[in-house]
Amino acid sequence: MNISDWLTLRIEIALAVFILLQLIIKIFDLIRSNETWLRLNIAITFLIVLLGFTGNDSGSLFGGMFISTSFIIIEKTILAFATLLVLMQSYNWLKHHQHTPEFFMLLLTALLGMFLMLSANNILLFYLGLEMATIPVAALANFDLDKQRSSEAGMKMILSSAFSSGMLLFGISIFYGITGTLTISSWQEILRPGGLEVLALIFIMTGFGFKISLVPFHLWTADVYEGSPVSITAFLSVVSKGAVSFALARFLFNGVIMMQEFWVEILFLLSIITMTVGNLFAMRQTNIKRFLAFSTVAQAGYILLGLAGDPVNAPTSVVYFILVYMFSNLAALGVVEIVSFATQKEDLDDYKGFYNSNKKLAIVLMLALFSLAGIPPTAGFFGKLFLFTSGIHSASVVWLLFASLNLVVSLYYYMRLVRMMFSENNEKPLASIQSPLLSNIALIICSAGILFIGIFGGLYDYLHQLAK
Amino acid sequence: MIASVFYFLSFVSIFFAVMVVVSKNPVHSVLYLILTFFSIAGHYLLLNAQFLALVHIVVYAGAIMVLFLFVIMLLNLNAATEPVKSSLMKFAGAIAGGSLMLVLIAVLSKINSIQPAHEVNTQIGLIKNLGKILFTEYNLPFEVASILFLVAMIGTVILAKKNPHTS
Amino acid sequence: MILSIYNFTLLTDKIHSFLSAHMSEEFVLTTELVLIGLLIVTFVAVLAMVLIYTERKVAAYMQLREGPNRVGIYGTGQVVADVLKLVLKEGITPNGADKLMFNLAPYIVLSTCIMALAPIAFGNGLVLWDLNIGVLYITSITSLGVIGILIAGWSSNNKYSMLGAMRSGAQIVSYELSAGLCIISIVVLAGSMQMSEIVNSQADGWWIFKGHLPVIVAFIIFIIAATAELNRAPFDLAEAESELTAGFHTEYSGMKFAMFFLAEYINMFVLCAMAATLFLGGWMPFHIGHWTTFNNVMDYIPSPLWFLGKTFFIIFIIMWFRWTFPRLRVDQLLDLEWKYLLPISMINLLMIALMNILGWHF
Repeated sequence: MNISDWLTLRIEIALAVFILLQLIIKIFDLIRSNETWLRLNIAITFLIVLLGFTGNDSGSLFGGMFISTSFIIIEKTILAFATLLVLMQSYNWLKHHQHTPEFFMLLLTALLGMFLMLSANNILLFYLGLEMATIPVAALANFDLDKQRSSEAGMKMILSSAFSSGMLLFGISIFYGITGTLTISSWQEILRPGGLEVLALIFIMTGFGFKISLVPFHLWTADVYEGSPVSITAFLSVVSKGAVSFALARFLFNGVIMMQEFWVEILFLLSIITMTVGNLFAMRQTNIKRFLAFSTVAQAGYILLGLAGDPVNAPTSVVYFILVYMFSNLAALGVVEIVSFATQKEDLDDYKGFYNSNKKLAIVLMLALFSLAGIPPTAGFFGKLFLFTSGIHSASVVWLLFASLNLVVSLYYYMRLVRMMFSENNEKPLASIQSPLLSNIALIICSAGILFIGIFGGLYDYLHQLAK
Repeated sequence: MIASVFYFLSFVSIFFAVMVVVSKNPVHSVLYLILTFFSIAGHYLLLNAQFLALVHIVVYAGAIMVLFLFVIMLLNLNAATEPVKSSLMKFAGAIAGGSLMLVLIAVLSKINSIQPAHEVNTQIGLIKNLGKILFTEYNLPFEVASILFLVAMIGTVILAKKNPHTS
Repeated sequence: MILSIYNFTLLTDKIHSFLSAHMSEEFVLTTELVLIGLLIVTFVAVLAMVLIYTERKVAAYMQLREGPNRVGIYGTGQVVADVLKLVLKEGITPNGADKLMFNLAPYIVLSTCIMALAPIAFGNGLVLWDLNIGVLYITSITSLGVIGILIAGWSSNNKYSMLGAMRSGAQIVSYELSAGLCIISIVVLAGSMQMSEIVNSQADGWWIFKGHLPVIVAFIIFIIAATAELNRAPFDLAEAESELTAGFHTEYSGMKFAMFFLAEYINMFVLCAMAATLFLGGWMPFHIGHWTTFNNVMDYIPSPLWFLGKTFFIIFIIMWFRWTFPRLRVDQLLDLEWKYLLPISMINLLMIALMNILGWHF
């Protein structure tokens, strides 16, 4: 290995070194103040984001086990940026938490796991990355240590992720048995549609389905999102989901591309159930975190639609969508976090007349909801648009019809919340909330992203070029 | 000879695995699980991987299962504390499991024989070869696994040391 | 250098060829297995008696007593009498016990420790099963004994048994780690996990002399860990009689109790034999530099004697511990392992690896 090889690994090495350094610092208790820890970690995450922009060396290491391309580095940078926003939003909460240093170790390790998962061209490394991206988050879901709901969330998450890993491993071991190799990219030369292959693929898709909470594997989602601390909900719904979506795209197009006609059918079924069930359940929710949880379930259905495209457009549209979705969902959850931290209120009804007391926060939340619903000037519209144009490649008319119908349905409940905020009166309105500086910055970044990404048209072309 | 040993071991491991699920007493389940691990270790021996077989016994039967036993014994779980499932649930479970089995049988009946995709190195399970490959080709997953365990440990310690002041 | 008259491979080969000349191949295998089984059973029985007698005598002399001295010459018949008593006693199964598990547990414990005898090199060429990962085999098999102990404690349906089993389990699982690390440090030096290879690597000097301070540290830690794994004083919390009556075997009587008793002594022998093989050269005679005459004299002592002598020396040390140190508390016990022994043995292992790479040992 020479220097340039190490540069290919630079993001992962930097992260690993930071994690271990923090552990050592914590063991010897060198930093006592939570705020110092927070600043340090925001700086570290920012550094990781910057590292993504320093030279786009592509290469492969360890005999092709670890691969890196500019596209993968862009994906990683998006995830790191989302983590940065999550950290900025959680400033207030973590300032008084007694285990703040451990929070960062767990969070950064989850991020490291995602990076490895994205770069893995070996299914073993992929699996390790996936576990590394899940287990710490399960501990984080339990981070409101004195709340029982939080423990429940952690427990549900670890159990469901263990079960889904089992499914995934079963599928993987069948593939390994058929091909005799662990290298994902060499599977595409050997795997051909057949009974056993399809069975294995179904198991693997089930595993992925759990991780990005597709219906019918979504049952853990609402409970975990509701019980976890809001920052972790944000991390789970944006970073984890994004990472697994990227990995799914890579797996489908690098590993099992020859079986495309089969997995498109699987995607079709999963997608329409996911969208429909997610939207129908979202309408009935009364807790804003559960509401957003089901809205993210529904969003995953659209991601699957985008995956039905060709090998270049599909990953591009997914990455673009996740970028947009990151801004929208983090803006929405950022507002929820500020409100929930200040008032402990998380019911949808509490948001009636939100505009009267908190004008700026209400506008940000409105923007986020517009973007999630996909209303034209916001970025969300373009995200959905690209997913649809990508999906047209091989999606059936029924599928597209279902997706469009679901867009209308989702419009209804997003707009209902907006109407509640702006035109309904509340007997016990929320007090005017002073939000902390860093959260404000994060919200401003998110709003700017929602407003300008769609208009800045070169981004999709840029991603498209990298994906080739 | 080898084939009959293989079938015997497979039968034993599947039988004990079923017993893990079926038996009412959690402690018996754990003991059946230990026996399952033993028969899997036997499979490793058939593959000429003595080192893996023994490590499998040390790690699973000797350490992890002992911790399982600890927890179950300390919680004093027994057949009586098992939640009663409604017959509707059982019915639904039976249908779901039955359909899965149907699919599996359908798939497996279509397969005549599976050829190994390439020559298997029969010496790979020996400790020298294993060590070499672990520290060269599979170095990255090896290190990644150690970070994973470290962090899992941190997470567990946090959860175990819940705030002593509030509770 | 190693005298051929004491090479037992010649003897075993002769037996094998003699049997082969008269019987078919399967029959030879069966006969040999039966012979080995008989040998092991005899050995185990004799060993247990000797150890029990030694234990009582050592204890007695440390307390300025005589020890057993009525039955037989110097009380040697006492052990036989004890065994007879245990065999003739009624084996009781308590009412609330899980019958199958309760009766199975002693067999599990006993069979695991007898299985662990297989790869031990009793003398030059005197190994039952010289497999290439012998050391690992012994550690893995001995680690299974815990399961038997836990089952015994749980199935007795008795709080004392349960607590004793828990303590014993926690203790064995924790101390296994540092014992394992000490074993690995010798494996690093010898470059093999095969018992005979490890013994052969000490032909020019035992590891405890060749390996400088790190190996001595490893030896001491191994002895401590072995004592703890055996649940012997000062680590005998599992059966702390003042708190738990008799720990996990409170409810056992007669032959079943005897089995636990036997298992304990065999385990002690196995672990001490391990220590003797790894650190004190197994059956290798004691040699000093260029003292040719002395070395030749030493060579004339048969290898099994060397092996048994070293093993019994270590057994004596462990018995000595029992009457020297007071019993630890549970938290002290776990602190000792996790906060002191484990970090020390980890660093020690690194030192030994470094020493081995740089070739600093003799």
